[in-house]
Amino acid sequence: MFDKILIANRGEIALRVIRACREMGIRSVAVHSTADSDAMHVRMADESVCIGPPSAAQSYLSVPAIISACEVTGAQAIHPGYGFLSENANFVQIVEDHGLTFIGPTAEHIRVMGDKITAKETMKRLGVPCVPGSEGGVPDLAAARQIAGDIGYPVIVKATAGGGGRGMKLAKSADDIDTAFQTARSEAKAAFGNDEVYIEKYLGRPRHIEVQVFGDGKGNAVHLGERDCSLQRRHQKVFEEAPGPVITPQMRAEIGKTCAEAVASINYTGAGTIEFLFEDGAFYFIEMNTRLQVEHPVTEAIFGVDLVREQIRVAEGLPMSFTQDDLHLNGHAIEVRINAERLPDFAPCPGRITQYHAPGGLGVRVDSALYDGYAIPPYYDSLIGKLIVHGRDRPEALARLNRALGELIVDGVDTTIPLFRALLEEEAVLTGDYTIHWLEHWLETNLQPG
Amino acid sequence: MTENTHDADVAFVKALAELLRENDLTELSVTRDYGENNALSVTVSRHQPAAVSVPSPAPAALPAPQAGHAPAPAPSPANGSAPATSADPADHPGAVTSPMVGTVYLQPEPGASAFVKVGDTVDEGDTLLIVEAMKTMNQIPAPRAGKITRIVVADGDAVEYGAPLMIIE
Repeated sequence: MFDKILIANRGEIALRVIRACREMGIRSVAVHSTADSDAMHVRMADESVCIGPPSAAQSYLSVPAIISACEVTGAQAIHPGYGFLSENANFVQIVEDHGLTFIGPTAEHIRVMGDKITAKETMKRLGVPCVPGSEGGVPDLAAARQIAGDIGYPVIVKATAGGGGRGMKLAKSADDIDTAFQTARSEAKAAFGNDEVYIEKYLGRPRHIEVQVFGDGKGNAVHLGERDCSLQRRHQKVFEEAPGPVITPQMRAEIGKTCAEAVASINYTGAGTIEFLFEDGAFYFIEMNTRLQVEHPVTEAIFGVDLVREQIRVAEGLPMSFTQDDLHLNGHAIEVRINAERLPDFAPCPGRITQYHAPGGLGVRVDSALYDGYAIPPYYDSLIGKLIVHGRDRPEALARLNRALGELIVDGVDTTIPLFRALLEEEAVLTGDYTIHWLEHWLETNLQPG
Repeated sequence: MTENTHDADVAFVKALAELLRENDLTELSVTRDYGENNALSVTVSRHQPAAVSVPSPAPAALPAPQAGHAPAPAPSPANGSAPATSADPADHPGAVTSPMVGTVYLQPEPGASAFVKVGDTVDEGDTLLIVEAMKTMNQIPAPRAGKITRIVVADGDAVEYGAPLMIIE
């Protein structure tokens, strides 16, 4: 058993891990930069070590400083939280080489899933559904017609060397494929000096659905249903819920089983998330995150389990404390991300918190490192808290979210709280009828900068 | 005049504060001349960060750490040769601080004599002590010439980034 765990992170996620440690009787070590000397994770941990100056590269991302902090405090394991070093395979290797335990998957699993191409190949081999496509470059028009017909329209033709939307052409039907293929090729040639293009199925109005998986590293794994994180701004999730409003119990059981079997077959250890685009009842793999997610509390709420505790257990070599049959979905949960950002342009807004009051009551959870008088430093992420509500069903969760947002007070800096109050007036949010594009469109029409 | 320079002055002070922090200075004084009989004098200073790895007190409701789980070496600033009554050595202008987290060794190898002792005069660049991090022995040089008036750490102490090691005057 671990006596002492070092948390290589800051903010709310560091508190999250400290709380799990404390309930398990494990001592916790916080590391911090000079800018975070007064931070809540430093105050709450059993011990703290200053590891560097404000710049994350020289503190929270400094491998030597973190390993050294383990050595001087005698911590046996490192919990990476999310972000920073959590998906850095080299760091995991160094941790293991120093006889310490990384609370998370192996370096090899992180490496495989960190590379988009090998991740997709691996998932495809393991039976996880991927976006159907041409498997590499398409040589000529005849091949393009053939492949597009096999995939089914609409399809998108993309430059292999591409990015930023250039060299991308949509073919809605067989009538468009010739033009799409030829213009994509010439655009690719002009923009990237390489006219190779590939073809993929085009998803016009997908949702972002992600499946939570958990493995013990010994060939056993479970799934904990899905989360719908479609409400995004610039690929940043802002509002997450579980279960997904449009996912049926049958879909959940099927995709969940596929994902659990996939990670079980590679002896995956700990928490992981397999992300999909979802359209017309079908799932298409995007990527796998080999760590705890920011939005993990919505899954914890509906399944009543502590995922961090479970991560620590399996890192110690213990079995998971539940089997698939023990996991029963209960009610509905929603998380909103409170960022120190000024609307309408979401400009980061560091500064001193003059008053902080967290909401309470049935079914309300706040994960935040804020306190009265705390100064949010300008060097790090703008996430300052997460409000999570749980109700017996989606309408109850929405009403509870509205009520809790009304109680939440964060004075001194601008936050995203007004955004959520406005979203709760929207029919699409109330009915769950949204796609990954919905929020961007809504922001364009409702929050004009200036 | 004061009205329309207010915003600029605030920005100026903020920039100075940033400069102070970035360069790890403790104090900075500047006078900005706006014209006849109109100048802004600013002094920004700060306290050094808390210097050593001290276990933070657990919330009151929690049980005290179990005796079986021996805490890590957690030196107090008064360790070593310093009299307990002195002020925080981190605030001393002659403080030499640790550039990394690690373990302090006052001599090149066990049994050898210490690199320096109180009262010694050192030149800039002379090795003061070693901080071991990740099995690497990092020699810490004197940042300036002077006399060692105090050694704040003891052999084998754990130090964090920015912790005061010695005072050179």
